[in-house]
Amino acid sequence: MLRSASINRFLLGIGAVGVWIVLWWWLTRPTGPVPSLYFPSPDAVWTKFVRMWTRPYIGSTLLEHIFSSLYIVLSGWTLGALVGIPLGIVMAWWPKVKWIVFPVFQLIRPVPPLAWIPLTILWLGIGDAARMSVVFIAALVPWLMNSMLAVYSIDKVLIDAGRTLGANDRQILTRIVCRTALPTLVAAARMALGSAWSTLVAAEILAATAGLGYVTVNASQLLDTDILVVAMLTIGLLGIAMTACIQMTQRFLAPWSVRQAPTS
Amino acid sequence: MIIDTLLSHFGVTSNRAKATAYGTITLLTLLLVWIMSTSMFQLIEPRVLPSPSTVVSKYIQIITEPFSGLTLDGHIYESVRRWGWGVFFAMIIGIPVGVMFAWVPWFRTLTYPIFELLHFIPPFAYIPLAVLWFGASTATQAMVVFVAAFPAFVINSELGVSQVDKIYVDAARVFGAKRFATLRRVVIPAAAPSIFQGLRIAISNGWMALVGAELVVGKVGLGFMISQGQENASVSTIFVGLITIGVLGAVIDNIIQRSERWILPWRRNVTVNNG
Repeated sequence: MLRSASINRFLLGIGAVGVWIVLWWWLTRPTGPVPSLYFPSPDAVWTKFVRMWTRPYIGSTLLEHIFSSLYIVLSGWTLGALVGIPLGIVMAWWPKVKWIVFPVFQLIRPVPPLAWIPLTILWLGIGDAARMSVVFIAALVPWLMNSMLAVYSIDKVLIDAGRTLGANDRQILTRIVCRTALPTLVAAARMALGSAWSTLVAAEILAATAGLGYVTVNASQLLDTDILVVAMLTIGLLGIAMTACIQMTQRFLAPWSVRQAPTS
Repeated sequence: MIIDTLLSHFGVTSNRAKATAYGTITLLTLLLVWIMSTSMFQLIEPRVLPSPSTVVSKYIQIITEPFSGLTLDGHIYESVRRWGWGVFFAMIIGIPVGVMFAWVPWFRTLTYPIFELLHFIPPFAYIPLAVLWFGASTATQAMVVFVAAFPAFVINSELGVSQVDKIYVDAARVFGAKRFATLRRVVIPAAAPSIFQGLRIAISNGWMALVGAELVVGKVGLGFMISQGQENASVSTIFVGLITIGVLGAVIDNIIQRSERWILPWRRNVTVNNG
């Protein structure tokens, strides 16, 4: 019953996308109201999409651009996790650490991560390091905030029960805190990835030699609207794919939390 | 340890006061390190990290003398204006779309997949497209802000409307309210807190997108000031821009948070009842 309902919804979704593609095609057809300079037709986008896999655009094929973007975003995201999760947990666990670190953090947080791009370019040049550090800043904030939240959301009763049964601080941290905090951490992973991905695109528009953001800005300057749309759609599809990966991981690591996962 | 003993000596015992004290000490220490490493001992070259006094004098300079045509308040005005247009259009389109998502099933079926797909493309990816369409004009920046702010309005309006207790809707129906009257008099006020939450998110997303758009294109604005600082290798100009953007972002968020009280007066009653 539920299965057939979800299949129906899926088919309706496909149908709706079909309607939009037909509308898109109708608007951008050769004699249509939208000139191809402003927006390309679906078949032009498809042709360019197929061609870009084999023929390099501004130095790299589409796959190489994708890998370049993914490399930076995943490194920055992982670095953010390596710093953010332990720091967040420590800050929530020992108030003194929080009192010391949090004000600095509050000072930096209102500045959008991508505003650091010019500074990192000046300090680190236009290589991978500049983009990676900006992505790191973008990923760090959600990682850290949600790690703290994860610790705060832990049921006090569980901790007291652990204490009563003779667990020490370290055991409570590893056995109770880390495990109950898992769903919030998965949410953190998703938010950090979203933030990292969008900041990376901005960073690539400003300073890069490859990557999807770099493709968009070049295509825009060369008036290759079809390539611009290919790059934008690729960015969107990769975002969907990465989110799906995290959801699958969540189903695997913390199946009990899938239903109540917060939506961003 | 030592700090704790000192603090208790001065009568600082509550956790809140301690947190403030620790924070102040940390920030002062950082400032001291900054001063020592730059102006006092010159450990770091000024072109890498300018001293605090350089940044302050740069700040004063940009406030008093025009920087690429405008003084600081002019740049702030330009940024806020573009941002305001983007958020405004996102609001007047996004809230109705979100309400319709929750209230008109066929509309949702038709548009939701495409909304979802476009939602996954970060706003910054629209910058080159916006430049292509509108050139270096206010519309470019406003469009990027719009793209960033729009989903927040849609998602939170939909959430708010779909979470309204069915019993209110039925009650309004029983009293003879038409569909539209029910929506306007019952559903929207009940959904308002969620919509307001959407406004908050939209405002901060839009601010972020604005900075991105200004970094890439334009001749005025705070983001432009930062990118200009990069081009002139002037870290102090970048700092002025960063500080102004951060402070304005925090101030705007603060105003919104406070204004919830008088925009949604019925919300206050709820909190009073709870408290």
